[in-house]
Amino acid sequence: MNLYISSDMEGVAGVCAWEQVDARTPHPEYATFRRYYTHEVTSAIDGARAAGVTGVLVNDSHGPMRNLLLDQLPPDVRVIFGNRKPFSMVQDADGGFGGAFFVGYHGGAGEADAVLCHTYTPTVIYEVRINGVTCSEATLNAGLLGYHGVPLLLVTGDRTTVEGVRAQMPWVRGVVVKESIGNFAAASMLPPEAQRAIRDGAEAAVRDAGQAKPYRFDPPITLDVQTVTAAQAHLIATIPGFERTGHRSVRFTHDSYPVVFKAFVATWRLGAMA
Amino acid sequence: MEGTAGVCSWKQCDPSDAHEYPIFRRYMTLEVRAAIEGARESGATGFVVNDSHWSMRNLLLDALPAAAGLRVISGAPKPWSMMQGLDAAPDAAFFTGYHAKAGDCATLSHTYSESIYSVAVNGTPCSEALLNAALAGSYGVPVVLITGDRTIVEESTRAMPWTVGVVVKDAIGFSAVNSLTPHAACEAIRAGAREAVGRVARAKPFVFDSPFELTIETVAVEHADFIELMPGFERIGGRAVRFTSTDYPTLLRAFIAATRIAAAANPIA
Repeated sequence: MNLYISSDMEGVAGVCAWEQVDARTPHPEYATFRRYYTHEVTSAIDGARAAGVTGVLVNDSHGPMRNLLLDQLPPDVRVIFGNRKPFSMVQDADGGFGGAFFVGYHGGAGEADAVLCHTYTPTVIYEVRINGVTCSEATLNAGLLGYHGVPLLLVTGDRTTVEGVRAQMPWVRGVVVKESIGNFAAASMLPPEAQRAIRDGAEAAVRDAGQAKPYRFDPPITLDVQTVTAAQAHLIATIPGFERTGHRSVRFTHDSYPVVFKAFVATWRLGAMA
Repeated sequence: MEGTAGVCSWKQCDPSDAHEYPIFRRYMTLEVRAAIEGARESGATGFVVNDSHWSMRNLLLDALPAAAGLRVISGAPKPWSMMQGLDAAPDAAFFTGYHAKAGDCATLSHTYSESIYSVAVNGTPCSEALLNAALAGSYGVPVVLITGDRTIVEESTRAMPWTVGVVVKDAIGFSAVNSLTPHAACEAIRAGAREAVGRVARAKPFVFDSPFELTIETVAVEHADFIELMPGFERIGGRAVRFTSTDYPTLLRAFIAATRIAAAANPIA
């Protein structure tokens, strides 16, 4: 089986502050946590390999998307590195994968007790719903994987995030590496224990892959975005096909989920200009 | 503002400039005032002035004529950008202080954004004047006056022969001009505006034929990367995208959105 891994950083064991995950204005702590992050990814790969996975594609999906310490990864995986990918955290998910992992994921915008919770762009996205379902990044990304027939098998992160994903996709195995205390503190496993738990979870997830299902949204697909400010909705409403549904809300409907996904990416890219 | 007499540098048009901008925003205001006065002398009564440059709050409001029936649109961003306010159903439109399109050998030439290398509708290369005229045209509103440098005025009056053109300067490349003085430019604009209002009955709305095809070439690949995210845009090259519609306002809005999302690609991530 070929495996797709989308890896984020806020859900890594020990992470509780933006400084630890901010690659753009690197704080000394970033260098430490990027190492923990890399090791959680390699643990997931090790576990998957123990259950028979052969090909692995890792999509570095955090911040500028060039955080992984490449020389720490098994030499025979492939890596998607770098920023501004049209399908962002789930770029190139259409390559015939038998399953996917979300490693180091975090809660959606507005979730209590989810460290550093946000949905793509905290300064723009207040809430996003697809066909009425409130979406975290995991939900949105699983929808694109599902469109390509790829089921999500594993999610790792804090308890709120993991339980949120499992509520929407009960077949997904969860590895809880920390309990969030509000948005900026966590009671966490130490990195070695988290890495062991992720390795074991990954192995079990691949073994149980037969029970997993692609997560799909049925067309017509309606995207509702609530923005943080009215000025952002004002700009986003100028995207072709978008409708202003309120002072701080816009809507877009289309039959194709990839079109909707890219339109969502456009909302926060344009909204950031307001 | 770039087509105002004397303007030859971004500094004169940049609201953050503390030295030259305050002078040239006054010249811009005086040219707008001259256009209004000329139009009133020919019987125009109501006016909407849409400040359409940069931050779109350049006009010195207390230097505009204190006339009843004059409204000013200030600020940005506006959904219709340089063409906000057509819902007032005017009988005709003036374009003052306009500049040449991206790529022209003319003063501060550009088209909406410095990320745009070129833009065409139905294969016709477009300046801001032509894009905007076609929006006015789709509401039945003719453009009867254009002022600016020789390049934009001559190109626009070729496309719209009913439009009065007032050339206030000749470009010497991108950042130098051979210009009328502000006083002489205002006199010429006032006379042009007077004549333009007299031509309204013979003027025609400028329109492209439906279906409309917008093609944009961007300066860099990353600009097209972002524009392509938006529904309805098709990537036709490394630095090229296309959008089609049977509704011109939809097309122009898509273009405006494209210029804005392209700008988001400019900061290094």
